[in-house]
Amino acid sequence: MSPDIQLAGIHPRSEKLIELTRSYERAKTSWSQVEVRLEQETKELIKLQKSLGFGHISDGALGWQDQLRPITQSLKGIESGTRYSRWFDTNTFYQKPIVVGRVSVGEIDPEKFLQTKLLAGEKNRKITLPGPYTFSQLSENKYYEKYPDLLVDVAVAEREIIKKLRAEGVSLFQLSEPCLVYQPYRATFRDESEVELALRAIRSVVENNPGEFVIQTYFGDASPLFSELLDLPVRGIGIDLFETDVSSLSEQTSKTLVLGLVDSKESYVEDAHWIADTARKFREQVDVQNLVFASNSDLKFVPQGIANQKLEALSKASELFEESR
Amino acid sequence: MSKLFPVQEIGSLAKPKWRTKGLRQPLSAQDLSEAEEWAEKLGIDDFHDRAKSILKTSDDKTRAKEILELSTLYGLRLFETAGVDNDGVGGEQQRVEMYEHVIKAVQGMNLLGHVHSFDYKYFNKGVAESRVSRKRPIYAPEFLDVKRYAHRAVKVPITGPYTLVDWSFSGYYIQKQHGSSPKARKIEAKREFLLDIVEQVVRPEIQDLVNAGASWIQIDEPAVTTHPEPHEMELFVEAWNETVKGFSCKFSDHTCYPSEIGYKVLAEYAPKLEKCDQLALEFANRDTSRLGVDKSSREGYSDLKHFVDAGFTGEFGLGVAHVHDFTGSVSSDAGQAVGRDLIESPELVRDRLLFATKIVGDPAKIWANPDCGLRTRAWDISLTKLANITKGAELARETYG
Repeated sequence: MSPDIQLAGIHPRSEKLIELTRSYERAKTSWSQVEVRLEQETKELIKLQKSLGFGHISDGALGWQDQLRPITQSLKGIESGTRYSRWFDTNTFYQKPIVVGRVSVGEIDPEKFLQTKLLAGEKNRKITLPGPYTFSQLSENKYYEKYPDLLVDVAVAEREIIKKLRAEGVSLFQLSEPCLVYQPYRATFRDESEVELALRAIRSVVENNPGEFVIQTYFGDASPLFSELLDLPVRGIGIDLFETDVSSLSEQTSKTLVLGLVDSKESYVEDAHWIADTARKFREQVDVQNLVFASNSDLKFVPQGIANQKLEALSKASELFEESR
Repeated sequence: MSKLFPVQEIGSLAKPKWRTKGLRQPLSAQDLSEAEEWAEKLGIDDFHDRAKSILKTSDDKTRAKEILELSTLYGLRLFETAGVDNDGVGGEQQRVEMYEHVIKAVQGMNLLGHVHSFDYKYFNKGVAESRVSRKRPIYAPEFLDVKRYAHRAVKVPITGPYTLVDWSFSGYYIQKQHGSSPKARKIEAKREFLLDIVEQVVRPEIQDLVNAGASWIQIDEPAVTTHPEPHEMELFVEAWNETVKGFSCKFSDHTCYPSEIGYKVLAEYAPKLEKCDQLALEFANRDTSRLGVDKSSREGYSDLKHFVDAGFTGEFGLGVAHVHDFTGSVSSDAGQAVGRDLIESPELVRDRLLFATKIVGDPAKIWANPDCGLRTRAWDISLTKLANITKGAELARETYG
């Protein structure tokens, strides 16, 4: 069977939708007009995924304003005002969650997370959420004296959110944890004890339902942490092949590995043969049976037309990869 | 400059409605009413003659040229009215914004489409489709207009090569690489792209500006502090040094809104920047809004010490006024929150300058400026903020007799 292909986060909005949202912001378009377009594009994206043979279908989170926002808005003890911070080393920004009280789950509105109506009929639904470590790292802590306490509370709250989304039919949760491999905003990179804390927090989110989770790393080299990531009780681990030193990997695993094979930070559409070949070379290094082909992170960093071409290249590469087995 | 704590602007001002609309379509007398009101405030004596000409012309190009010239004049007079010592290019009225304005003038670059910045904000991102070169002069035509009308010194802000490349897709440059890994190919592509932008686009532009009489060029590099890795910082230094090589004018760097460690890393590399006479940096954004010249009152300025400790010996353009929306608290003697704006009092500006002097050691090395360009603020707010910076600089000067 050829490797599955999956969306790995927020998909870009089209120029048409962009224009509508801008017009809405200038109070020249109603929100219902934006919603109509948003739904139409979500349907088109679902159709595209199905036509390309995706095993898990995502709605592309086209309405999300940033990677953290729906979680931020679902938690008590967190405020988000007008302060924006840079999303890692990209030229995009997120509304910084400000921790002002004990974090716990608040009112969860599934509609803020996914287009449940449009996903009706899809058995294998996937959603991408920030992992507890990344969410707490990218927040400003004004309440907790000790960071581990914040991390634990975020994990507990996120577990509740996931429970609610599971009831909405989500069967695969990608927890994105770029902070495990890249922290350009910090003077010192996380040490061993912090890694252990982070992994413990992830474990507490995924326990009892290990088969539903993929832990995705991106923007940094996952090789120093790779064996520890493989020890997590989850279905799969994702790595960014544009950053990870594959030559230093030599593990064997029964887990699924999600390979970030197209670069969400570059507009150049990778050749399907190159993608398949890169995956083959990866498998020469790492003994793995189950692979998933994906972009290295959210495709929102490229225009929509380019993003769709990258998905097509992944699909074609998956076939080529299977043919050569 | 002989006086202590001279005041400078950093770059942009908001674009008046009549300027934006007038570039797209003919204007009515009503459209120019706001311009008429500001003409009185800013002493634009020939406003009525200019307005008549703008309203009369049926040629789009002529109208656009007249409007850009007029808005540049307004920007210069606004800075002058506020008492600023260096008027820059009048608030960058002749530019779309800092990225697209340049990319449109680069052969080999194509604006590919909009990508998300935040919320409902997007930017049109360019890709290198072939080797880059300059299609036409980018800043020199604006500078010639500025030169005609400026009464004071002029500093020309330009977008730095590192930022132009960092905010673009490498396209052509990635495809031609044969490195051992995707990461190696990306690094090599960025270097080649960057050095081409320096040689083929930025240096010819600086040469034109210098030939036209520019004596001070501010290179805006907001992207540099987003990549604190050593190889990226070395690349930035290499590109800077190539950019300024052989030119005799004054150069300054403007970098703002760094990551948590951004200024610490920039400080380490700043002494390696050749001919960098000034670093204009943002500080007010992270400072308290209360008076005082002690460390805790002026916590936003602590990063300044990194630059001094690292051995940077040039001037500092000190951000003493916030330029974005303000939601915090402000003590009554330190300023006033008006809607989403913070109006810093002259006393707060004074204290920021005096505290910075304690760190830098020499008051002659400090200029006062807003954190960044004021394009997100209304003109009356910008004028008040700048006027208070001027008054605050005077108060600081009095401290030194």
